[in-house]
Amino acid sequence: METSNKRSVKVGLFVFIGILVFVVGILTIGSMKKVFSSTITIKTIFEDVNGLKPGNNIWYSGVKIGTVKTIRFLENSKVEVMLNIEEKSQEFIRKNAKAKVSTDGLIGNKIIVLYGGTQKVPSIEDGDELVVEKMESTEEMLAVLSENNKNLLGITSAFKTISKNILAGKGTVGMLLNDERLYNDLDQTLGAMKKASVNAQALTASLADYTAKLTQKGGLANDFATDTVIMKDLRGSIARLNETVSSANVMVNNLKTASAELNSNKTSPLGVLLHDEATAANLKGTLKNLESSTEKLDENMQALRSNFLFRRYFKKKAKEEEKQPAKEEVKEQVNQ
Amino acid sequence: MSAKKKQHVYSRSLDHAFLAVYNAYVFFIRFFRETFRGRMEFQEMVKQCYAIGNKSLLLISLTGFITGMVFTKQSRPSLAEFGATSWLPSLVAIAIVRALAALVTALISAGKIGSSIGAELGSMRVTEQIDAMEVSAVNPFKFLVVTRVLASTITIPILMFYCTLVSLMGAFLNVTLNEGTSFIAFFESAFEQITFLDIGTSVAKSVAYGFTIGIVGCYQGYNASKGTEGVGKAANSAVVISMFLIFIEEVIIVQVSNYFRV
Repeated sequence: METSNKRSVKVGLFVFIGILVFVVGILTIGSMKKVFSSTITIKTIFEDVNGLKPGNNIWYSGVKIGTVKTIRFLENSKVEVMLNIEEKSQEFIRKNAKAKVSTDGLIGNKIIVLYGGTQKVPSIEDGDELVVEKMESTEEMLAVLSENNKNLLGITSAFKTISKNILAGKGTVGMLLNDERLYNDLDQTLGAMKKASVNAQALTASLADYTAKLTQKGGLANDFATDTVIMKDLRGSIARLNETVSSANVMVNNLKTASAELNSNKTSPLGVLLHDEATAANLKGTLKNLESSTEKLDENMQALRSNFLFRRYFKKKAKEEEKQPAKEEVKEQVNQ
Repeated sequence: MSAKKKQHVYSRSLDHAFLAVYNAYVFFIRFFRETFRGRMEFQEMVKQCYAIGNKSLLLISLTGFITGMVFTKQSRPSLAEFGATSWLPSLVAIAIVRALAALVTALISAGKIGSSIGAELGSMRVTEQIDAMEVSAVNPFKFLVVTRVLASTITIPILMFYCTLVSLMGAFLNVTLNEGTSFIAFFESAFEQITFLDIGTSVAKSVAYGFTIGIVGCYQGYNASKGTEGVGKAANSAVVISMFLIFIEEVIIVQVSNYFRV
């Protein structure tokens, strides 16, 4: 009986230990999530982890790829965070990817977010260290926000003063809003501008008309723009004109030289004619004599026509002249 | 004196404790052996199922309804602080489906069924009815213990589902009175976050709780001694031990389910 009791106690102890091991084992395995999935460990060094704890999740492109393994202090108040990354995600994370501490939702748990990385760089390996980007903490953000609030207050105060001045009619804008004379001037100006715009409209219409004509085929301007031959002709004409101008230039130069010669050389016949008054008076007298002589000669010639010796010649000539037009008419009729 | 001392392996209390563990272990093993051996007492089992379910239905209805309503009422201020009262249905549903319904059902059943089984079997033991059955060639273990344990193992999950529904109705009543949420909107929102893992875990829990309530009640009643005092002690121990084990199982099952949860 005693032996049996002893054995029962021992079996009871064994069962108790068995149950204990089972319970402890379950609790341990349950708390060690994904204990059997193979992982690699990488390192990051933060200056501030914002309350990150071991077991917090790691996200890459919004997908959970692991958990925070350990957090420990290094020298110079730096914090070393070891990350357990699932081996199946390893190939997608590059060595130049960055890490930052973020929040799961607005008020959620702290998480580590891995991001970035380029395809050219190889994938991370066990023991690698990722670069950390410093994130603004909530306190820093609030400090900036507070500064912004102060600025906003300053801006609104300035606006308050400005609106007060405007209401009081001070300054350009205030005058503009409150001065009736200015308003009238502005109104007139606007009227003038309106007219000007009407004119401008008419002008643009004319311009449009003109440009329409320009585009019309056969016009001079259109030919200028489109005809390739006319330009060539024009160029030729201009070249010739240039030549003519050059010739004219030479001629003018010659004339200039000649006139200079005339002016300077007063002994030459022309110089004498131009400069010597006595000669001019003589010449004038000569010309007068010549005029009277020609009148007299004309009279003599008239008298000669009436002379019996030459009368017959003149009559004959007059008859031939009369016959000439009649012959031409007959020729034309024959041709027709 | 020295001869008496030698009778203990470790100490008197430790020996008693380990002996109790041993006896429970033997009872446990015997249960499985008897379950799969010989003819099954189906009629008795069905009768026990009806008795267990029927006995607890009203109590569980009331408790479940109040639990759902009170939990919703208590959760509202916290969510209202973030302006997230629209999440109330899903929050309450997660709490009820994952933990509350199974736990409330198990605790109520432990009090109601566990004590009933312990007292019933205890009085049968004390009045030597069990011995009489053994003499009359009826296997009292199979007839009394196996049927009751199986009945509670089957009935408690069913009661758990019923309790879930009633709790959600309680939660819905509270939500609809405060937020004016419609029935369909409430249940759509409530089941949005519920997964098969939650329901599976809940079923596994209630199976474990049912088995625990049945086997602890039967063990305490079957091994009752010392006359009428023993009957009361058996009923009391059945409730206390089963409740204690229920909480331990809760922790273990939650840990296991968390392992499967991504």
